[in-house]
Amino acid sequence: MSEQPTAISEEDIHAYVDGALSSERREQVERAIELNPALAARVSDYFSLNNMFHERYDRVLNEPIPPRLRALENKRRAWGGANWPQFAALAATLVLGIGIGVGTGSYLPWANSSRVDTVAADTSETMAREAALAHVVYMPTVDRPSEIGKDREHDFVQYLSNKLGTDVHPPMLTKSGFQLMGGRILPGEDGPMAQFMYRDAKGERVTLCISQRKTSANTTAFKLYQDGPVSVFYWVDGAFGYAVSGGIDRKVMLELAHDVHAQLTETAPG
Amino acid sequence: MDIRNDLMEHVPRLRRYARALLTNRELADDLVQDTLERALSRSRTFESGTDLRAWLFTIMHNVFVNQVRKASARAVHVSVDDEAFGETQLAASGGQLHSLEVRDLDYALQRLPAEQREVVLLVGLEEMSYAEVANALSVPIGTVMSRLSRGRERLRSLMAGAQPGAKLKVVR
Repeated sequence: MSEQPTAISEEDIHAYVDGALSSERREQVERAIELNPALAARVSDYFSLNNMFHERYDRVLNEPIPPRLRALENKRRAWGGANWPQFAALAATLVLGIGIGVGTGSYLPWANSSRVDTVAADTSETMAREAALAHVVYMPTVDRPSEIGKDREHDFVQYLSNKLGTDVHPPMLTKSGFQLMGGRILPGEDGPMAQFMYRDAKGERVTLCISQRKTSANTTAFKLYQDGPVSVFYWVDGAFGYAVSGGIDRKVMLELAHDVHAQLTETAPG
Repeated sequence: MDIRNDLMEHVPRLRRYARALLTNRELADDLVQDTLERALSRSRTFESGTDLRAWLFTIMHNVFVNQVRKASARAVHVSVDDEAFGETQLAASGGQLHSLEVRDLDYALQRLPAEQREVVLLVGLEEMSYAEVANALSVPIGTVMSRLSRGRERLRSLMAGAQPGAKLKVVR
């Protein structure tokens, strides 16, 4: 009998999920999974992830191919680069920022000067980065069904309150010309993060993110996180962190941040 | 050789992958278009009889990486007020993560480092073998495995999300 337990490596686990094992090895992994509920849960999650990819993105296969991809022979650069230089650079920058920054506490020593103080990465900066990323990811989707009409604002606030188990009323920025368009709950590093999206008549978009913090702190000054064209003003007030993100003029952004802050402190309990 | 017609067969899958990679539809199609243009301009370097799909994914990877690199001007945190506060005492979460109702795959994917996102999607969505992925990305298989392992585990914890019961500040 050679029924001795076989060491299962991390690579074996993934190769099992991806169907890349020999049948013999596969059986060994299956036996290990049967004996180890935690491993079984992990493998099951990995399978689920692969399924979710297909559920989410396979629909692209059935979309009609846009004309610009079908007609490459025609003046190929006529449309070109309209989006990439601005938006893609932005998205890519943020991707890099997230990849490098989160969890490593990294910051940019060469950016240190008397004028520009880099602040050591910490959890509130993580929030600023998350807010900037969420801004970029969802900025183009404001017109999707997640959007709420004015008349549905009440329903939406109710929905958010139910999700979070507490009353949430987003500040109104109408005096600055921004209407609340929608919002969603996102998983943040520190727990759920509520994101509210606003838009003005010109189509400019700003987002407000509110997240709960593990450790309470006194109210802080505004800080600015700049990521390419996206500015994020963020601050901490007690157990909550706030971030206002947008690609518009910083002065306007700062005014909006002040407006948000004022509305929050005016009515804060206690 | 004219690979134009053959290219078109692969467009749907290139679009699917690009969409998962970038989320934004216009950006994803820009990436596909840049990929196709580069493929056409270099069609002479394609060896007929080899795997056209693998070749296209290699090109797409290179285009993508160039975009990321061009945009590598890093973000800077600027202290607006000199009276900076001791934020460092704000400890990170104690890992009280539970299942979250609102699960958002797009968002979770965007939070993976680009290199991990590529591998996780090429394997999980495009169902490429590890060797094909290593080839497309020009990295050793061991690197593919470690990116896959880290990427999947991070994605798993991101999708596990956070407990919605946590209280947010009452904002009236």
